[in-house]
Amino acid sequence: MSHDEGIGEAHGGKITRRTFLKVGAGVAGALAGVSTAHRWPAIALQRTKTVRVIAFAQGFAWPELFGPKGTERTEALRALEREVGATIQIEWGDELAVRQKVLTDLMSRTGRYDVVLLGSDGAVQTYGYAGLLEDLERWMRRSPSKYVSLKDIYPKYLEANRVDGVLYGLPYYSFGPGLMYRRDIFRRYGLTPPRTTQQLEATLRTLKERFQQEKVDMFPLTMRGAPGEEPSLDLLGFVYAYAGYPAWFEGGPRTAAEIRRRKAKPIFTGDFKPGFTAFVTLLRNYGSPAASTHTWVDMLNLWDQGKAAVMLPSAINAYPARLTSKIPEVRTESRLAPSPIGPSGKMIQSFWTFSLGLSRFSRNKEEAWQTLAYLTGKKAMEEFSRRTRFPWVTMPSLMYSPTLVETWGREELKVWEDAILKSDPFYFPYFPELNEFMDKIGTAASRAIAGAKIDDVLADLQTFALERMFRAGYYR
Amino acid sequence: MSVQPAALRRAPEREWLPLLAPGILGLAAVTLFPGLYLLWMSTQGLQVQAPGGFVGLDNFRLLLRSPGFREALVTTLIFVTASTAISLGLGLALALALTEPLRGRGLMRTLLTLPLIVPPVVAGFAWKFLFSSDVGVIGAFLLPRLGIGVAPLGTPRLAMAAVVVADIWSKTSFMFLILLAGLQAIPPFLYEAARIDGAGFWTTLRLITLPLLRGVLVVALILRVLDALNTFDVIFVMTQGGPGTATQTLTILGWKIGFTYFDLGQAAALAVFMMLLTVAAASALIQRTRDAV
Repeated sequence: MSHDEGIGEAHGGKITRRTFLKVGAGVAGALAGVSTAHRWPAIALQRTKTVRVIAFAQGFAWPELFGPKGTERTEALRALEREVGATIQIEWGDELAVRQKVLTDLMSRTGRYDVVLLGSDGAVQTYGYAGLLEDLERWMRRSPSKYVSLKDIYPKYLEANRVDGVLYGLPYYSFGPGLMYRRDIFRRYGLTPPRTTQQLEATLRTLKERFQQEKVDMFPLTMRGAPGEEPSLDLLGFVYAYAGYPAWFEGGPRTAAEIRRRKAKPIFTGDFKPGFTAFVTLLRNYGSPAASTHTWVDMLNLWDQGKAAVMLPSAINAYPARLTSKIPEVRTESRLAPSPIGPSGKMIQSFWTFSLGLSRFSRNKEEAWQTLAYLTGKKAMEEFSRRTRFPWVTMPSLMYSPTLVETWGREELKVWEDAILKSDPFYFPYFPELNEFMDKIGTAASRAIAGAKIDDVLADLQTFALERMFRAGYYR
Repeated sequence: MSVQPAALRRAPEREWLPLLAPGILGLAAVTLFPGLYLLWMSTQGLQVQAPGGFVGLDNFRLLLRSPGFREALVTTLIFVTASTAISLGLGLALALALTEPLRGRGLMRTLLTLPLIVPPVVAGFAWKFLFSSDVGVIGAFLLPRLGIGVAPLGTPRLAMAAVVVADIWSKTSFMFLILLAGLQAIPPFLYEAARIDGAGFWTTLRLITLPLLRGVLVVALILRVLDALNTFDVIFVMTQGGPGTATQTLTILGWKIGFTYFDLGQAAALAVFMMLLTVAAASALIQRTRDAV
């Protein structure tokens, strides 16, 4: 046996190199066939156009299309696909995971996702400034949709999705600020919902004293203070209410261009401080000892378990508990009041929209736009409010629908609507570095709530902000 | 009789190359390429807000200068030291205890290896709820009854202790298994001889067990240090690096830089730094204990 002919022998027979390679190739081919067999129908489908959507809130968002589990292909979805002329695929995930996927997709310009999840607290601004999203008003003019009309949507929710006047996102469900309180507990102690931040402090003090005296296992207040961007949405609402303007930079510029033009320096140790201090102090004194790690989920859980008497300013987080809590008082005695007014005369803010945008790198923009128009349009919003019964609708025409009036009452819906109408979506500035600042501010708040000195925390924030803004070239 | 080895021995090296090539290519694809790609990314301006081309070592310079990085490095060192030392010590103690012929030894061994099959994310959630000062068995019931009225996850030092505890729970099983295997490889007659000579537990441990277990201990130490350096899941689930930045290790910081600050270039620089740190840590450990491994 020569080296050229064979490499071994088994059971008395030769295994030639050619046989070896043939067997290897055969096995590889068979394995490849088997491993892709389940995809064959999908490959056939891909001959038609596909619109890929990525979002969170599985089973909760667009239940009419994807069913209560988020995985169905309902008749409504098939009808929409026929109308749009493309297969619609949705990819669900945890909010953080979805955000990461959107980032990597937009950064790598692969266009894997056509319709992407955004959010008015950083993604709209960062991606909008970076030119990674389509101008949606241009698409509206070019290819009007019967599903969505800007006139239908609360203007504030649209403003929140504009960057330098360009509309990059359309809102699905959204919220403004509010104060949720337990009416039964307030009544027991002779309290009324606080109208100002001063009254808020007094109310919380009373609640704390009474809870201690009567050994009630409740916290007077729940707000979120976990590290990261999350608490910033609420904390910045306090900063705005105390300063009277988005007190990040000298003179309160609201856009990147204004910051650049005025060469406005950060003022985190200046006008930013009173609101920051108020937020931190309230949580330290009246919140859970673990508030420095609390997210909206913890707010919701505390409310659900009847362990908090006041929730603000993102009162939205109490709504799921109001429908499903096992504690009857949580369901029947939770009430919404307007967000308190700060020393500046302005209301504590908290404003966010679950927005969808159109990727600049989508290969099927027309179909993607038509899909996005449905997903953020009136029909989808109507289905959302009818099925979930949450008042987080984006359109005045749906706010007082029979389902919502029956569930929450006209009076509460009026409070909810007023919060939207009186909000200022620009209670923090819109600039490309917003996401990073949101994270730093939220993390600074978490640090302060956990016991660090407020002055030290704000000094660190100021140092970071100055360095970051210089590095980004704002003061050249 | 095996014919194949003899035939293979006859084959010159160039004959082996085509057969090895798929393996080499596979290895290159899954290890070399990502490594080189990461290195390339670390020299690029990959910030969403201001993408640029080649930036040289700027990403490293910015990273090393930032206070957040220095703080995360110290936090990482604290976490790695505490978690490694305790899980290794505990693993050794358990392995020693369960080498002895005790009743229920098999059951105990099985129970001790259970955490191995619990994914770290699940372990993180479980411990988060246990330590929760609102609803947790430890945080809301046990600690207050002991007169400790603070929230473990809401207090910087306790939060670090909590994530270390969770990590130890999750990883001690592995140490236990490695060390148990090592202990069982020590010939029993050595212990018998020592006993006849009147040696007690500590003398036996010092003069027989530890010297003969040294090689296994070093391997366990290296694996544990590398694992602790790269821990992300448990910390992220329990504290997200908080409160503030109290438990923000390098892995958490890297994730933040990449996915929250939208700067993939600097995140890659941090990953390269961590790769070097890992290699340096492993090399130092191997160097110092070369004769043992």
